[in-house]
Amino acid sequence: MIPFNKYLKLTAVALIGLTLCAQGARTPQHIDIKQLSKTVEDVVVPLPNEIFGALNKLGAVNWKEHVRSDKGTNFTERPRIALLLGTVIADGFVAVQAEDAASVKEIGQRVLALAKGIGVGNSITPHAKAIIEAADKRNWEAVRQELDRTQNSVQQAMNEVHDEKLSQLVSLGGWLRGTEVLTSVVTKHFSADGAELLHQPDLLSYFQTRLEAMPEFKLPIIREIEDALVQVKPLIDVGNARIPQESVRKINEITTRLGYGIVTRD
Amino acid sequence: MNAFVKTLLYTSSLLAALVVLQPAILASVDDAQSFALQAAEPYVKEGFQVREDYWGGDLGSGEKKAVRQQLFKGNEYWFWLGTEVDRAKVSVHIYDSDGKLAEETDGWEKGHFAAAHVIPKTTGSYFIIVSVEESPEERTHWALVYGFR
Repeated sequence: MIPFNKYLKLTAVALIGLTLCAQGARTPQHIDIKQLSKTVEDVVVPLPNEIFGALNKLGAVNWKEHVRSDKGTNFTERPRIALLLGTVIADGFVAVQAEDAASVKEIGQRVLALAKGIGVGNSITPHAKAIIEAADKRNWEAVRQELDRTQNSVQQAMNEVHDEKLSQLVSLGGWLRGTEVLTSVVTKHFSADGAELLHQPDLLSYFQTRLEAMPEFKLPIIREIEDALVQVKPLIDVGNARIPQESVRKINEITTRLGYGIVTRD
Repeated sequence: MNAFVKTLLYTSSLLAALVVLQPAILASVDDAQSFALQAAEPYVKEGFQVREDYWGGDLGSGEKKAVRQQLFKGNEYWFWLGTEVDRAKVSVHIYDSDGKLAEETDGWEKGHFAAAHVIPKTTGSYFIIVSVEESPEERTHWALVYGFR
């Protein structure tokens, strides 16, 4: 005869099992992606630290050598400021990885100046202050969070005044700088897993579509980026194949050239 | 009443209605986001970084929405879905770019929340499927946030 306690335990285990099975059975194991096309939302562009985190797990990275001291020229054209702002925020994430408090503080000030230049300084002031304070305390997790908040606040403020295109340029600037650093790290210490982090074809298509919708921005750097993305696309859109070292090196060359173009005057 | 006054009255009523209704609509998505963030809270203590950015909207009962997201092999992700509607049943599931279920088995659904967990086997695009399975409301607001470590 089964004792009552044992019976109770067995019943509970069976019930939990049944519940999980029922839940599992309800969830289809496969869906038709083509049927989703009309209900798909736009992608959320990953933050550079999302990629850096994955990169860190592949081996130790000397982040200090990727911290950039040149934070760019003072531009007056708003699309250029937006691109640079995204790049500088990405630099902030690099400086956090390197645990370089002086660079983080400098970046906090620079972000504020650029946000003011684009007319969204008010929403950034508390974040810039928080970045500097957290860097002083070497609280890297807080700095990371504030950098994310900064980018989010900048983009929300832009969207509120219907400057969505500038908001997209902020994301693009950050993605380009993140890709530049990623390819630089992987070029130096090549691994198939590191190269696989570049497999982002949908994200690249997303930026291409957005840039095509910006014909009014007649700046050479914007058109240069548009052309460069066309070159990068076949290098990363490889399906199930591996991305070779040569492709990583080429993407690094392209993104480094663009990065230089974003921070310097034409 | 002449045509000008009629148009003026019509336009101002419409504007007034918009001014009154808009915060209510926004507040609901914001409320849904608060629930999603509430679901994420315990995971922050486990080292997950929760993104500030989020998706949101409204769906009728039985409706689904797909969100495309770039995920990186090496990271671990949780997606948390929230709604402010009492007695609504919501769900979230993760599929890879071939449409194959890619989530771990520890996802859950409870009250205002649902969550799904993925450790990507490859770097690439994934589809996060958000669904309002049952709801007492005609339209149910939802918000989806995610975190990674």
